[in-house]
Amino acid sequence: MSFRKRNIGLSPGVDRNAVPNATSQPAVPETTPGIRPSPDDGRPTTSTGTRSLDNLLAGHAGLPMGKILLVEENGTTDFAGALLRYYAAEGVIQEQKVHVVGVPEQWGRSLPGLIGSAESLDEKRSDRRKDDRMKIAWRYERLGEFGAVAGSRGAPTNPGEQDTAAKEAPAFCHAFDLTKRLTHPSITNMSFIPVMSSKESPFLAILKRLQTAITSSAANTIHRIVIPSLLNPTIYPPNASQPEHVLQFFHALKALMSAYNTRVTAMITVPLSLYPRSSGLVRWIELLSDGVIELCPFPHSADAMATSGAATSQEEPPQGMLKTHRLPVLHERGGGSDQNVGQDWAFVLSRRRFEIKPFSLPPAEGDTEAQEASAPGGMPKKSDLEF
Amino acid sequence: MPSQPPLPPLLAPYVSNLPDSSLTLVSSILGATSNWLVLRFLHAALSSPSPNVAFGSDELQNGTKKKVVLVSFMRSYEFWRTEAKRLGLDLARLADKQQFAFIDGLSELFYAPQPTATSPSISPAGLGSSPRTTLPMRSPPGVVPGRSPQPAGPTVTGVRGNATSKQAEPGIAKKLHFSGRGLASLDALEKDISSVIEQQKSSMEDGDELLLIIDQPDLLLAATGPSMGIGATEMSEWITALQQHAHATVLTLATDAPLIHNASTSGGLATPIETEHAALVIGLAHRARSVMQLRTLDTGAAKDVSGVLRISRGGGLNVSEESLEEREALYFIQRDGGVKLFGRGES
Repeated sequence: MSFRKRNIGLSPGVDRNAVPNATSQPAVPETTPGIRPSPDDGRPTTSTGTRSLDNLLAGHAGLPMGKILLVEENGTTDFAGALLRYYAAEGVIQEQKVHVVGVPEQWGRSLPGLIGSAESLDEKRSDRRKDDRMKIAWRYERLGEFGAVAGSRGAPTNPGEQDTAAKEAPAFCHAFDLTKRLTHPSITNMSFIPVMSSKESPFLAILKRLQTAITSSAANTIHRIVIPSLLNPTIYPPNASQPEHVLQFFHALKALMSAYNTRVTAMITVPLSLYPRSSGLVRWIELLSDGVIELCPFPHSADAMATSGAATSQEEPPQGMLKTHRLPVLHERGGGSDQNVGQDWAFVLSRRRFEIKPFSLPPAEGDTEAQEASAPGGMPKKSDLEF
Repeated sequence: MPSQPPLPPLLAPYVSNLPDSSLTLVSSILGATSNWLVLRFLHAALSSPSPNVAFGSDELQNGTKKKVVLVSFMRSYEFWRTEAKRLGLDLARLADKQQFAFIDGLSELFYAPQPTATSPSISPAGLGSSPRTTLPMRSPPGVVPGRSPQPAGPTVTGVRGNATSKQAEPGIAKKLHFSGRGLASLDALEKDISSVIEQQKSSMEDGDELLLIIDQPDLLLAATGPSMGIGATEMSEWITALQQHAHATVLTLATDAPLIHNASTSGGLATPIETEHAALVIGLAHRARSVMQLRTLDTGAAKDVSGVLRISRGGGLNVSEESLEEREALYFIQRDGGVKLFGRGES
C-alpha cells in the first residue's frame, strides 16, 4: 500500500510545513521560555539580558542556572547598575520571578523598555552596516555567537520558513532601551525585599524571604535574585559588612543555589570604591561567587583618548575596561581552555545596548603623523620598483 | 573517556600513597581553583589499582584498601558526583560500598531551612491522609487481630522513610550545622565529622587506610571569625583533632594575595579576617608534609595553560626518613575534564 493518497499531487509545500509544526508545537510548552541548554555541555542557562555578556560566559552563551554572577565596579559610575537592570528586565520579559533586594519599588519602575529580541536589533544594525563592510569571509562574521551560525545555515533553503520559525521560537535574550520604561504585565510580579537593620545579621530576614519564596513556588518557576550595590552604606546597616554576616549570607545563598540548581540565578553588584578588591572580605565574596567580573570605567578626562580608541569612526569609543576574574562552571572545574579568558575587554554603554568587545589600543597618534609626513617622499613609487 | 589517563604520571607520586598521619596542603586562588586536584586525590585513593582491570572490579588484589571521607564547605555533592563521573569514579556506588562518605558543609551550615517546607510535602501528605482515612474503615472487617496493625505499619514506615530521605539525600552521609559560637560550635562539628569517620572505620580491616579530605575549612574561619570566638588557633586545633581520626589528611585552602599578604604589609590596617586567615594557612603549611600550590600564570592567561602547580616540601616533612622531590609544572584542564601536566617549554 502506498502511504499517499493517489489523487493528490506530489508538490504540496503545505504538507512539508505541517510536519515540522506538528513536531515543534508539543515541544514548545515543555521548554521553559528563557531557558536553553548550554552549547558547551547542555546544562540549562538563562540570559543576563545583555547579549555580549552572555557570549562572554565561557561558551555557555548564558548564565548557567544555579550560579551567582558578581559584577564589581570601580568609581562612582553605575554601569553595573545598567547590567543589573537588563538582567531584571530580561527576567520580567521571560516571566520569571524577580526578587530585588534592598532597593525600593521605584527601582523596578525604572527598568529599561523593551525594543525586541536581541537578534532583531543585531539584524538592523548589520543591515545598516552591510554596505560599508568588506564582504570577505562573510560567513564568519558572526562566528562565536551561539545560534547565529546555526540560523544562517538553515536560512538559504527557505527564507520564508526560517522567518516563521524565528517568530515561533521564543527569544532567549532581548534588547532594551534605557531611555524608555518597561511595561509588561508581569512587572507587578517582582518582589522587593527590604533590608532591615537588626541586632543580628540583617541578611537573615532576606534569606528567609528568598527561601520561602522559592520553596513555595511551583516547581517550574524560574527565579532571579537581583542584589544591587551590596554593602552600600546607604542601603545596608553598618553591621552588614561584618564578615560573619555577609559571608554567611553568601554561603547560604550558594547553598540555596545548589539546592535549586535548575531554577535560580543571581546577579550581585559591589561598589569597589567602598570595598576594594585588595581586602580579604571582598576576596572571600569573590571566592564564594561563581562568576566575577570587574568593570573599570575610564575616567572622564580620558574621553579624548577613548575617542581614538575606536578602530573605525563608526564604532562607539569604549567607556571602560572589563576584566573577567572568574567564569561560572569553567573555573569550578579548574579554569583554562576558553577562548575568552585572558582577553582584554572593553565595554560601551549606549542607549540601546551594553556591548562588550575586545579592547584594542589605537595606533599611536604620533605614528600616524610620522607616516603621513613620510608618505609623499618616503614611499617608493611603483615605477621605481619595476625593473 | 578522557584521552589522557585520569591521573597524570607526573602527579601520581604526590597524590597517592600518602604516608601515615601526614598532612597535605592544597592552596588555590580565585582564578586557579583546586577542585580538579581534589578529584585526583579521590581517584588515586578510590580507583582500582591497575588500569587493565575492568572498571567495576572493586576488590583490590594486592595493597591496602582505601576509604575516603570528603568534607566540602564550598561545593555540593551534586558537583563532586558529576565531576568524579567524568573521571570514571561512581561516588554513589562507592558510598553504597562504604568506601566513600560525603559530608555536606554547604547546604545547611549556617542557615538550615526550617522544616516549614510544607508546600512540597503537601502532596505526599495529601496522598498519605486519604489511605489513612480509608484504612481504619477496612481494618474492622479484617477480623484477624494480628493483621490490623500491619496495614498501618507500612504507611507509618513509608512516611518515616520519606522524612529520612528528605533529611539526608542519598550519598550524603551528614549535613553539618553550625550553631552557637566559639569552641563549643567547633566541637559539635568535629563530633559530626568524626562520627562519620568512625562509621567508615567500623567496616575497615587491618591495614586499610582512611583518607580525610577537607575542602576549604578556611571558609569556616572567614565566616565566623574572632568576634564569634573562633580564631586561627581554634581552627588549627580543630584540624589537628580531626587529623587524629584519619590515616592521612588533605586540606584545600585559599591563598589569595589579600588573604595572606595584607596581614604582614599594612601594619595595623589588616582586618581580623586577613590576620587570622594568614595565621591559619602559614601555621598549617609549617605542619604539612607537602604543599601543592595552584596559581595562575604570572604572565597573564594563556589559551593552553590553566595555571601553575608547584609542589614543595612543607615544614612537617621528616627529611631524615623520606624525600619529596620539589617540582613546578604547568597544568591544563581540558574540556572533557582530563588534565595535562607538563614542564615549562614542553607541551
